[in-house]
Amino acid sequence: MSEVRQHKVKDIFVDGPIDPSFVGTSIAKHATRQDIGAHEIFLGQIRADVVGADDRPPNNVVIAIEYTAYREMALETMTAIREEAFVRWPEMTCLHVHHSLGTIPVGQLCFMVFASSKHRQQAREAVAYVVDRIKSELPIFGKEIFVDNTHQWKRNT
Amino acid sequence: MEVLLFGMIAEKANTDRVQISATSLSELRTALISRIPELDRMSYAIAVDRAVVHTDLALNGTEEIAVLPPFAGG
Repeated sequence: MSEVRQHKVKDIFVDGPIDPSFVGTSIAKHATRQDIGAHEIFLGQIRADVVGADDRPPNNVVIAIEYTAYREMALETMTAIREEAFVRWPEMTCLHVHHSLGTIPVGQLCFMVFASSKHRQQAREAVAYVVDRIKSELPIFGKEIFVDNTHQWKRNT
Repeated sequence: MEVLLFGMIAEKANTDRVQISATSLSELRTALISRIPELDRMSYAIAVDRAVVHTDLALNGTEEIAVLPPFAGG
């Protein structure tokens, strides 16, 4: 596949939740790659957080997160992170990243990072690294919507 | 110049873009706070041409400026 080490900007955003069957299809697409020995996949899922901060009613439960993004900056930043990851883990053959936009209900998938390599170590390290960089550097914003229809803005720590 | 607003900041300002004239980033910050007073108590970053900038910078008006609240991806 010629996607390896191309430097074009790829769109990572999908409208709505990531369908679990999409994950399966993504794995299946690699069956033709006989140099791959390991896949590592991170999946982010919306959690029913219970929030009782000072300015909120106690025990308020998150029912969904509404994601928006500064799309152009997010994609440029992602391209730089991707290029860096391929330099750092030269054995990695592919890296696929998808992030949801829009309202994602609790229990649904909103984030996928999928790396493949010859052996497990490089794919594992790359996924952990890329997930952390995305969380701290991509301008993606999340509105946590509560069961009582109030909301608060999520922030990654 | 047009300044893009996102997330919590767009919500407070009731719009996703404002027109501001400024010749430097520090001038822009001052103008933004007088336009959106809540910004003074919020944590945010300013991106110039899609990269976060921490220092002062001269602006010529052609830059793409964005005000970014804390990130929450993943």
